[in-house]
Amino acid sequence: MNAALLAAYAVEVHAESGTPWVLLLAGPAGAVAVYWTLFRYYRNTDKSHSFERETLIEAMPVTGQDPKIDTVRGTERREVRGNNVSEHRQRVQRLP
Amino acid sequence: MTAHGSAPEPPIADTSTAQQREADAGTPVVDTANAWLDDGVNRCARCGSTEIQLRVSTGHLVCLFCRHEWTEAHIEPLVAGEGSLRDLTGTVIASGATDLVADDGMLTMKCSGCGAEVVVNTAEATSSRCHWCRHLLTVNEQVPNGAVPDAVLPFSVTRDQAVEHIKLFAQKRRTFAHRRFVKEFTPGNVVGVYLPYMVVDSNASGDVHGVGEVETRQYTRGTGDNKRTVYDADVHRVERHVDLTVDDLTLESSTERAHMNAFVNTNNVINTILPFDTKNAVQWNASYLVGYTSERRDADVAALVPELEDQLLSIVRSQVQSSVKTYDRGVRWEGERLEVHGTRWVSMYLPVWLYSYYHDEGGTPMVHYIAVNGRTGETMGSVPVSQWRLVTAALVTGTVLESIVIAMLGLW
Ligand SMILES: [Zn+2]
Ligand SMILES: [Zn+2]
Repeated sequence: MNAALLAAYAVEVHAESGTPWVLLLAGPAGAVAVYWTLFRYYRNTDKSHSFERETLIEAMPVTGQDPKIDTVRGTERREVRGNNVSEHRQRVQRLP
Repeated sequence: MTAHGSAPEPPIADTSTAQQREADAGTPVVDTANAWLDDGVNRCARCGSTEIQLRVSTGHLVCLFCRHEWTEAHIEPLVAGEGSLRDLTGTVIASGATDLVADDGMLTMKCSGCGAEVVVNTAEATSSRCHWCRHLLTVNEQVPNGAVPDAVLPFSVTRDQAVEHIKLFAQKRRTFAHRRFVKEFTPGNVVGVYLPYMVVDSNASGDVHGVGEVETRQYTRGTGDNKRTVYDADVHRVERHVDLTVDDLTLESSTERAHMNAFVNTNNVINTILPFDTKNAVQWNASYLVGYTSERRDADVAALVPELEDQLLSIVRSQVQSSVKTYDRGVRWEGERLEVHGTRWVSMYLPVWLYSYYHDEGGTPMVHYIAVNGRTGETMGSVPVSQWRLVTAALVTGTVLESIVIAMLGLW
C-alpha cells in the first residue's frame, strides 16, 4: 500500500540519478501503515453514521452563480489551496 | 390514577386523541400520549392480564396469559398529519420530546461502575445490571427520571441472532485482540437496551460560498533534475443555494452517548450502527420494554439544536457537491449559512443489542462495545488490541520491506 507506492515513486524519480536512498523509508512507512490499518480494523475509531447519505433527503434543484474572478499561471499546486469540497463535516465560517 | 374500565378498549389506532394544542410559549405540541394506557397499567385488551411482552419474531406485543397479539399505532401519522415537510414551519415538539421534568413512572439508577444512568422497569428483576458495564445497580443511586418517550421501535433482531453477529465480529478480530478480551469473551452476556434518540424532521435552506478552480493547462518547466509539472487554472467565485427537507434525522439524546471522541470513549461505535427504520416506530407502551433495559434521555430540544444545525450544514455541503464537479481542482468553501424554516421533534427509544467489555490498560479505563442494530442487524464494535502483537506485526512487516530495499540497493 503506502510503502509500495513510495517505493514505486522513488524508483521513478531516481531511475536516472544515483542511488535511491529514499527507498530506505519503505521499512518504517510499511510498519506504520500496518499498525494503523490493523488498529482501525479492531477499534473502528474512524467510523460514524453517514447521515448525509443514509437519511431521507428531498432537495430542490441547486441554484447559484460562478463568476470568474482570477486566473493562475504556472502553479505547482495540484488543487485549490484549502480544498474542502468533500469535507462535508468540516465547518467553515457561519454567515448570519 | 383511576382503575381501567372492566371492559378495556381494543388497542386500535385512535388518531382522534392526537390533538394538536398550542402551549403557552407558542410552541406547538403534538400530544402522543397513548390514551388507552392512561391509568398507567398495561393490560391485555382481551383478558385484562398485565403479563405482556414483546414477541420479537412478529414485532407485536403478546399477552402471556391468552396469547392475544397486537401492536400499537405507528407514530409517524400521529405526529406528521397530512402536511408535506416542505410546509413545516416553526418548532413542533411531540409531547414526549418536551422539556424534561422529574417523573416517577420508572426508576433511573446511576451505575457505580461507569456512571451511566440506566432506566429500569421496577417490575423487572432481570434489569438490575448496567447494560454498559454490567455492574449491579442498587436502588439508593436513584436519580430523577426523564420523560416517557413518544415512540418505541421494537426489537426485531432476536438475542440469538445478535449473539451470532457479535461472535462473527469478534472472530474476525481475534489475532491481534488483547488476550484477556479473547479469554473472557462471553457473547451470551449481550443485553438488549433501548437507547434514547430525538428523531427530527426539518425544512431548511442552505447557502455556501467559496472559491473553485478549473484547470486550463498542464505542462512541464525546467530541464533535467529541475523538471516539474505546473498548472494554469481559472479561478471562480462559487455560490450555491439549496432548499431541502430532511426526514427522520436521528440524534443521540443522552448527553453522555452523544459525546464522541474515539480516543477517550467508544461512543462512535453506537453511532455507526444507525440508521434505524424509524418510520416503523409505534406509540409508546412500556410493555415493549419488558426484558430489556433502557437509558434515559437527558437532553432537551434546545440542547440538541446545535448538533441538528451542524448535521444540516453537512447535508447542505453534501447536496451541493455534485453541482461543482466542473471545478476539477476543487473548491474551498469559505462561508455557509443555514436557515431553518421548521423542525419537528419526536423522542424515541431505539433497540440495540450491546456486548460490553470493560478494559483497563495501564490505568486508562475504557469500555469497549460490540453493538448490533436491533432492527437491521448492522454490527459495529471496538475490540481492545494487544499492543505487543500489533507492534510485532508492524515491526516484522517493516523489517521484511527494509531487507528487500537494502538488497535492491546493494545490487544498484
Ligand atoms: Zn390476554
Ligand atoms: Zn455501568
